[in-house]
Amino acid sequence: MTDPRTIAPEMWAPLHPADSAPATSRPSLTYWQDARRRLWANKPAIVALGFIILLILGAIFGPWFSPYSYADQNLKLANIPPAFETYAVDDGQGGTTRFFLNASNFNLYEVDAEGHVLGLLRGGRKDMLKKVQPFTFGATTVTLDYKTLPARLLTADGATISPSGWSWNRTYLFGTDQLGRDVLVRQLFGARISLTVAFVATLVNFFIGIFYGGLAGYIGGRTDAIMMRIVEIISTVPLTLYVVLLMVVFDSGLYSIIIAIGSVFWVDMARIVRGQILSLKSQDYVAAAKTMGAGTGRILTRHLLPNSIGPIIVTLTMLIPSAIFIESFMSFIGLGVTPPLASWGTLTSEAVETMRAYPHQLFFPAAAISLTMFAFNFLGDGLRDALDPRFRK
Amino acid sequence: MPSYILQRLGMMLLTLWAIVTLTFFLMHAVPGGPFVSERMLAPEIAAALNAKYGLDQPIWLQYLSYLKGVLTFDLGPSFKYPGVSINTMIATGLPVTLQTGLLAVICVVALGIPMGIVAALNRNRWPDTAVMMLATIGVAIPSYVIATVLLYVFALRLGWVPTFGLDDWRGYILPVFALSGFWVSFVARLTRSSLLETFEQDYMTTARAKGLRPGQILFKHGLRNSLVPVVTVLGPVVANLITGSFVIEQIFALPGIGRQFVLSITNRDYTAIMGITIFYAAALMVMILIVDLLYAVLDPRIKLSGAKA
Repeated sequence: MTDPRTIAPEMWAPLHPADSAPATSRPSLTYWQDARRRLWANKPAIVALGFIILLILGAIFGPWFSPYSYADQNLKLANIPPAFETYAVDDGQGGTTRFFLNASNFNLYEVDAEGHVLGLLRGGRKDMLKKVQPFTFGATTVTLDYKTLPARLLTADGATISPSGWSWNRTYLFGTDQLGRDVLVRQLFGARISLTVAFVATLVNFFIGIFYGGLAGYIGGRTDAIMMRIVEIISTVPLTLYVVLLMVVFDSGLYSIIIAIGSVFWVDMARIVRGQILSLKSQDYVAAAKTMGAGTGRILTRHLLPNSIGPIIVTLTMLIPSAIFIESFMSFIGLGVTPPLASWGTLTSEAVETMRAYPHQLFFPAAAISLTMFAFNFLGDGLRDALDPRFRK
Repeated sequence: MPSYILQRLGMMLLTLWAIVTLTFFLMHAVPGGPFVSERMLAPEIAAALNAKYGLDQPIWLQYLSYLKGVLTFDLGPSFKYPGVSINTMIATGLPVTLQTGLLAVICVVALGIPMGIVAALNRNRWPDTAVMMLATIGVAIPSYVIATVLLYVFALRLGWVPTFGLDDWRGYILPVFALSGFWVSFVARLTRSSLLETFEQDYMTTARAKGLRPGQILFKHGLRNSLVPVVTVLGPVVANLITGSFVIEQIFALPGIGRQFVLSITNRDYTAIMGITIFYAAALMVMILIVDLLYAVLDPRIKLSGAKA
């Protein structure tokens, strides 16, 4: 038994530096490092971010690589699907003609072996009574019979020709619309319009909202009460209704819709900013800044706004999909961009007109807008989880 | 309570006045008069038309007479359909919009809340995943896309329901579904998260410790407390069903007010646009007031008073 008051000399031996302080804490991270780490761990949000970046790149650079422009019409090649069943007919002189049948407008289009669309085939006289039309390929004659739907192709002895295979459309990857415009380039152009409207309008909302909400929150008192009453009055009626009214006054077009959305949707942002400022302005560092003689502008821009940036960014990400939605909604009911400009809304409403005969035309704009909305929603959720201090672990 | 209602009514009148003024001056800021058309009118006829509709008077007189009309529930004549008043337009469209809207609200409550409960009770198991996946789809896809896809699949392809009109009960299915899709999903998500939060409260542990039956715990203690935020969104639900009806009524060709409104926009029928906007605003404010009062009835912790929030 040793005396507990004496310390054995070996107990004074210095610890090896490596096993000194056990790692009880992880490296300290700044707010942004932490947020980035948590966003990165959120797989759906990262996939969404990747999709959005791809979409932006496609919208900016995609139309440059296309041989067509969004307004080029080719009425001879209207309503061509993105994939088709091909028929091959031997003309009796050693050559074969490949073509496909558009079962909704009863036209035959010549294609090559890879699936490039070469052109419309000219047939013989249409017999309107019997509902048949002959097509001659050298020595062979094929009859298009559309008495009974779906339309069939018959050989001279009355047998039905069956398709020899199917192929993707290599000339128009997404097919063409009712005026023979390339759907792919119109999609990309639509993305350009929708994203431009969304980003610019959101930016306008951002500045108005920050200015309005920041002032109301910082000044407080009667000014705040009046300013927030105005916001309350504005938001009593659905904001979409104001956009509709403004679009009736302006001529429809790209700039009008940006102004209309930008001048209305700031109220949410103003509310968020005001709430943040209200809770932050009684903090000690604000009092310290005030004591040192900082003016209102400096306190707002240097102290209050940077500290409320998290919720502001989250609101921004949520404003973008709603701006995209409003734009496509307005274009859908005919108040958005003017033809021949394409936006996802106009593309959808054009596709609805031909939905009965060409349902595939509806697929691309509907998928584009749905995927984009998904992406922004996931990204917004991810950012909210990453930037909200309450979720910090 | 009465003073609260009075204050709310005063606020409503002020809001309504602001909206009437805004729409009036917006619609008068539109370049060109209501009778500018492709056919040139003889100056005498134009003058007579202007005199008939009071357009020859100074704008503030027109404003005052319009304001008087709104106060006496007279929204004036339509400029595009002679002899039709805006009141008639609204009266013919209202039943259709009201029916589909009401059914959609019922759908939101009857589908959204149970879906949220199922998801919360089976947290991180397949019913939860399924509900959350459906809800994410419903929140992200715009209503007009849902409507057109539904129309294509169920009306054109399968032929189960008519493509347009409300001649029999099957005609209601698609419009109501498309109209309520977003809010069913939203309410399901909200109910789920709110219920999960409630489950962690101490009184829930107490209820379990007391040995109450699971049904009792869920309905008496859990649901009652977690439905409060759900009731709050019912106001905005009503508001958004109205804007949703613009495009849904258009797609399904339902003769409601939303379609009337879109038609007036395409026709540039300014008095109709003005009148329907004001009607919407008024109807909305009344409904939001009702929801707020309901809210106070449901949640005894909330005391309605004239105090500012």
